[in-house]
Amino acid sequence: MSIIMMMEIFSLDFIHPSAFYLIGGLLIPVLKGRVRQGYMLLMALLAFFAVLSMPHGTYGIYEFLSWELTFCSVDKLSKVFAYIFTIMGVIGVIYSMHVKNDGEQLAAFYYVGGSLGVTLAGDFLSFFLFWELMAFSSVFLVWYRKSNSSVSTGFRYLLWHVAGGLILFAGIILQYSISGDLTVQFLPFHGWWPTDLQSLASFLILIGLIVNAAVPPFGAWLPDAYPAATVTGAVFMSAFTTKTAVYALIRICAGSEILIVLGVVMAIYGVVYAVLENDARRLLAYHIISQVGYMVAGVGLGTQMAINGVVAHAFCHILYKSLLFMGTGSVLYVTGTAKLTELGGLYKTMPRTMIYTIIGGLSISAFPLFSGFVSKSITVAAFGEAHLTWAFLALMLASAGTFLHTGLKVPYFIWFGKDQGIKAKEPPWNMELAMIIGSLFCIGLGVFYKPLYALLPYPVHFEPYTAYHTWETLQVLLFTQLGFFLLLKKLWCKNTISLDTDWFPRKCAKAVIWFANKPLVSLEYNIIGEAYEFIIQKPIMRVAVYLKKIDTVVVDGTINGVGRLAMAWSRKIKEAQSGQIQHYAMLMVAGVIAVIIIVLVLP
Amino acid sequence: MKLLEIIEVLRTKKVKRIAYGVLILLIIVDFIIPRHEIHFFGDEIRGFWSLFGFIACVLIIVVSKWIGSRGIMQDEHYYDDGDI
Repeated sequence: MSIIMMMEIFSLDFIHPSAFYLIGGLLIPVLKGRVRQGYMLLMALLAFFAVLSMPHGTYGIYEFLSWELTFCSVDKLSKVFAYIFTIMGVIGVIYSMHVKNDGEQLAAFYYVGGSLGVTLAGDFLSFFLFWELMAFSSVFLVWYRKSNSSVSTGFRYLLWHVAGGLILFAGIILQYSISGDLTVQFLPFHGWWPTDLQSLASFLILIGLIVNAAVPPFGAWLPDAYPAATVTGAVFMSAFTTKTAVYALIRICAGSEILIVLGVVMAIYGVVYAVLENDARRLLAYHIISQVGYMVAGVGLGTQMAINGVVAHAFCHILYKSLLFMGTGSVLYVTGTAKLTELGGLYKTMPRTMIYTIIGGLSISAFPLFSGFVSKSITVAAFGEAHLTWAFLALMLASAGTFLHTGLKVPYFIWFGKDQGIKAKEPPWNMELAMIIGSLFCIGLGVFYKPLYALLPYPVHFEPYTAYHTWETLQVLLFTQLGFFLLLKKLWCKNTISLDTDWFPRKCAKAVIWFANKPLVSLEYNIIGEAYEFIIQKPIMRVAVYLKKIDTVVVDGTINGVGRLAMAWSRKIKEAQSGQIQHYAMLMVAGVIAVIIIVLVLP
Repeated sequence: MKLLEIIEVLRTKKVKRIAYGVLILLIIVDFIIPRHEIHFFGDEIRGFWSLFGFIACVLIIVVSKWIGSRGIMQDEHYYDDGDI
């Protein structure tokens, strides 16, 4: 194994899988063409094998100032997430191989590396560092779309995540001040409102985490940003941010009852918005919210069976959701649009892409023999066994909605519906290869589910393919299909957007800016400005004229030499100060990386 | 193009009739299938999940459209004027 050889060469006990993405990724801008493609694939594969060779336990501990940073805390839970993240890394790299923009490739690499770092982090400080790295690298996947709205969409995305990150950080600091311990640990939040300091710490951490899990009302960033990302960027984004948050929720907040309610609301909320949506990728984004709702609810229930279901579902979800984003992304790549009103009749030109997308759609709908069936049913059955009938029925309802949109509406309006006569063809070979791999995983997991069950954190006593359960699912799904075709007329989309909870910050921000531009500026300019000129500026000017005389005669000679030097320097610095926050963000990310590298390399 | 022919066949009226047959079969078989994981009363009613699936679908579409028409759905350029 190449991993073991590398470890021997560098005399290391282990290699952190993130290293292949964070340090290995640095070579991407230097390489070109086929060499770069091969190199990226190699790095992604090596990261997977690095996870494979990681023993359970806590290691990779480094002193940083007066803290201990633990980079590798490996158990069954972190390992299964690290597996799926690295598998997704390989699929994503294959899908995005043709992309020439090295910045975009690098951003995706740092995003994956960050999410692996979060998954394996054993202390809250390194956890938080990687958590922020994810936000600051993934925002470039939005910016690199380079459309008119990319910059503002990216900033909104970043603002949500920075706000969530700060709340998380406040919780971590509070937790540290209470316990003096920074270990990532089980800190469930019980009740509806914090009652003492300890529960306030848990509450703040929970809020910080659910912002990234896109739980309403903090989830509006997801359907805002994902459809605005690049074709390949959205594939990465659909997989990592929310599922890393689900992992963190399991680790830290399992059994927090509030999550049951939030999760069920989420599952239905995503479905409702999907009915209204016209952009296929935004529709899928709303279904991420719906699916993550199952996971959040399962985390809230917190029984062993529910947690097993959540982990299995996160695993399958990453594969089928990325497949769906790859399918619709291919349509966007080839035709230039993902709007259902502008698409239709593509089955003649892109039949293979259609089949992959439908496989993804059947998987997300939990059709028997597809991956969602073996994972979603564990969580739903856990609710049935806990006799939470309202949650059980609500989740079944959301299942019908999932099939209605992702399994029926998206394929129907893109590949059938009204033939728009769009000239299209199948996407490039690498995109198709990634979709084939994704499809094989979706069917493979649906049929051979035992290996997945073996990876779950607790022993599994669940059999998905019982006669009644299979029949129950088939009835719900096929009668949903009947309803779909009967109500097809109602489902034709209109060219609209749907207002979400981000209406409030967006409108408030506009009000603040109006206030700053209009009343505040005129106050400053007309009243304070005039007063300033009269009381301060004029007397100062008089003194200044006098001082200038002394200055020109005495001081200038000495200063001129120094001044020229300063000028040269400031010209250099000016180049770095582009005034574009993207560049500053890049510098900040570079700084974070530098810290990580320094800590990792210096003993 | 073999694949295309298969898709064309699947779009014929005959397949549609078969699909209706499958739906009826689903309900009939539900009367004889053994029930061993009963979570609540609905699990004991024959054909319950067929009805559930259909009503769920109709409810989701009708209720969502109603919510959408209450001001949630806006023109694409809603946020565009002087966007930040």
